[in-house]
Amino acid sequence: MTRVSLKIVGASGQGIDSIGEILAKVLKRSGYCVFGYREYPSLIKGGHASYQLDFSNEAIESTEMKVNIVIALNHHGLEHNVSDLKAGGILIHSTEVWQFPKEQQALIERLSISVVYLPIEKMIADLKAKPILSNVILSAFLWAIFGQKAESLKTMVGEKFAKKKDLLDLNMRCIDEGFCLKKEQHKDLTVTLPKSSTTWKKHLLLTGSKAMGLGAVHAGVRLFAGYPMTPSSPLLHYIAAIQNKTGMVIKQAEDEITAAQIVSGAMFAGTRALTATSGGGFDLMSETVSMNAMIENPAVFVLAQRPGPATGLPTWTGQADLLMAVHTSHGEFTRCVLAVSNAEDAFGLMSEAFNIAEEFQISVIVLTDKHIAEALYTEKPFDQKKMIIKRGLVTDPEKRRKLVAADRYDPKVKNGVSLRWLPGSEAATYVAQGDEHSADGTVEESARNAKEQIDKRMRKAEWLKKMLPEPELFRVESARPDAARPTGTGEVGRGKWKVESDESFAPDILLIGWGSTKSVVLDALKDYPLTTNHQPLSIAYLHFTNLWPLKTERFSALCSKAKKTILIEGNAQGQLGMLLKQETGTPIHHRILKYDGRPFFVDELQSLIGEKLTTDH
Amino acid sequence: MSIPLHTTPSAGVSMKDYSTQTRCSWCDGCGDYGIWTAAKEALVELGLAPWQVLLCYDVGCHGNMSDKLQGYRFHGLHGRVLPFAAGAKLANPKLPVIAFGGDGASFSEGIGHLVHSVRSHYPITFVLHNNGNYGLTTGQASSLTPQNQPMNTAPNGVAEATLNSMDFIFSLEPTFVARGFSGDIKQMKSIFKAALVHRGFAFVDILQACPTYNHFATHTMLMERYYKVEDEGHDPLDFKKARALAINTGKRIATGILYRNETVPNFIERLVPRQGKTTTLVEEVEKVDISKLMEEFV
Repeated sequence: MTRVSLKIVGASGQGIDSIGEILAKVLKRSGYCVFGYREYPSLIKGGHASYQLDFSNEAIESTEMKVNIVIALNHHGLEHNVSDLKAGGILIHSTEVWQFPKEQQALIERLSISVVYLPIEKMIADLKAKPILSNVILSAFLWAIFGQKAESLKTMVGEKFAKKKDLLDLNMRCIDEGFCLKKEQHKDLTVTLPKSSTTWKKHLLLTGSKAMGLGAVHAGVRLFAGYPMTPSSPLLHYIAAIQNKTGMVIKQAEDEITAAQIVSGAMFAGTRALTATSGGGFDLMSETVSMNAMIENPAVFVLAQRPGPATGLPTWTGQADLLMAVHTSHGEFTRCVLAVSNAEDAFGLMSEAFNIAEEFQISVIVLTDKHIAEALYTEKPFDQKKMIIKRGLVTDPEKRRKLVAADRYDPKVKNGVSLRWLPGSEAATYVAQGDEHSADGTVEESARNAKEQIDKRMRKAEWLKKMLPEPELFRVESARPDAARPTGTGEVGRGKWKVESDESFAPDILLIGWGSTKSVVLDALKDYPLTTNHQPLSIAYLHFTNLWPLKTERFSALCSKAKKTILIEGNAQGQLGMLLKQETGTPIHHRILKYDGRPFFVDELQSLIGEKLTTDH
Repeated sequence: MSIPLHTTPSAGVSMKDYSTQTRCSWCDGCGDYGIWTAAKEALVELGLAPWQVLLCYDVGCHGNMSDKLQGYRFHGLHGRVLPFAAGAKLANPKLPVIAFGGDGASFSEGIGHLVHSVRSHYPITFVLHNNGNYGLTTGQASSLTPQNQPMNTAPNGVAEATLNSMDFIFSLEPTFVARGFSGDIKQMKSIFKAALVHRGFAFVDILQACPTYNHFATHTMLMERYYKVEDEGHDPLDFKKARALAINTGKRIATGILYRNETVPNFIERLVPRQGKTTTLVEEVEKVDISKLMEEFV
């Protein structure tokens, strides 16, 4: 697969995101699959930040560590990001007088890096434009060296300023200037893009947070309560931004406890309500998770992970809150933990989470992370046909009239899920009781009742586990060492990898992971040399979306057949590995763990997998 | 000005409809008996059947009321009753919602929720069971217990200054503040009825006798000192006067509706996306077509 990567670096607030978003959209519309990745410190202005775009004519959902092009908006980029370039890369900057230190100069020569200075400041002064428009000149310049037409860029930028004639004209002039600059002063500077593919033109370009917001709206969520905390805030912002279109109630609560309680009250009354937070906020919500377990109230919590402990690395990513999600809150009860893998999942898992929450009357914790929350995905318009809302409510007025209060928490019910009907329904009334209670919610402390009710609430887990699917399995295989691996474009190629039945399948190598790791693992395997010591190699990847209760049959069967098992996780302990061992007794041989706040980069992961493959046991 | 309830009153509702088989577990002489009776009477007189109301309880002695009457009820976490009640009301504004809480939870762990509930102006009623201590956990000081009063956690007397709860509440610019006394059921009932039809957040402070742990504001003492502001021609639209009446409890204790302003739009009324909506969030749960929303991403 041919991929191109470019990284825009500079100070936060300098407009890095704006160039990134302009280029991402025009690339997608021109037939490329784009993946955008942001790095920034926890500051509003200043601090060194970056926006990286990786794109291809094939499906791509990962970031490279070494890139083809660096655009440095200030001299810090020249200081820090030269080493991010691949051999033959291009460094574009606008710092007028700049001398690289000796070592860097040597690196530039050794890697044959082209250093391109653009007199952007002067151009902006001549145009009498605001400095922010230098982003448009830069975007145009890049678009020109990609060998693309000015028109596609003009159409896109034009949409943004359609109603502001002055700004529109100025933007168009900046685009012309960018193209002119390339034509007149950098004639030989070109980057050859792979052949474009029409597949991507009608796709959506959006962050995981926005995909999640759309998923929530689609699932019938009518209230969102939250307290700002990166990386969950972009979801709150998006849901708030579209409130006049959706008619939803948005509440910025005074703290996370409030957000969790408002949402619980709203769910209790019978709407669908959502809250989202990160680790620290979720700590505060944990008492509410326990409360909902006791009153058997459905609730959905989005837990967007960032590295801790404490404030940790607020604007960076990680997968270190899996065990917290699985174990949070006092008491023993059934819960469900799901993990989003990418934008597609962020959309789809919202309705799934609400259906599980309501059908089982439990809390569902949906894990995501900073990487998914803020990365830009190129995504097929979401399929709206397959989703069905399942509420698990007694809605028929005739049936409701026959209810007795003791139906609400009847401990005798099969599967542990008793009848639920909403406050305000003309029916028998009950207490949603936080104390241990009998079938109608009356406080009841007898030994017999306590055991019965705990058994009832725990029994849901068995049924839930039966209903949940086994983890997904993807395989890459070649008959001969030099044979072509499955390629194809887009989802088609990826779909072919998915293994539905694996009874007779014995991979040499079994990789195991969850969450955002899926995208990068699959991208890494796409380009992976499928041999070791000149022997053909079959590699499979087992991906967990449903993390609790944990389905382990497929895992156990594959482990008994695979020659080597490798766990890939974004935390220090190998938390999924710990859960799998706890549930099956089967250890995973090797572990690739990353916990420095950065996601796995595709080139980095390939070499880490390579190291494990050459290990002799 | 009276704000109609969003629900149609049921005919022939009686006190019997609210009774349960569960035996009361409060101490003899506890103020909860009076509040319990007044709450039921108010609901009956408003024609609200148990299935038409949501009663939310915090944790404390008062919370043990949750299974001593009918109605859709919730008994949650210590200090957290207000946001849960608000969430339920936002979801279904047709449901009359009362939140009950004690002075222990409401002015310590839950004080942030109280501040923001007044500020947010949720259209719910909050009944403060104010017995000046933590009863259920056996007589520790609350932030409303008088300074120097010996309590279980402070045998030498409470070191901290007493929080002036009414001054504090008035500083938040509430729109409905009333005070009752657990020994006067008739007055409490009329206060609850007014609170239930209030446009926004109604704060109802009930001075409650706690015969076991409160030896500083006893039933007899409250009985001797309380008087009704309506008997003395108080105008509940006079904010300044109401505040003064509420704060000055040294010699006499003013009770009744101290302040009431029905002109301030409540939280739901202020939400732009909800303007003109006749359905509740509960009724609106359905699969939503997001085709239009996806357009901006192409």
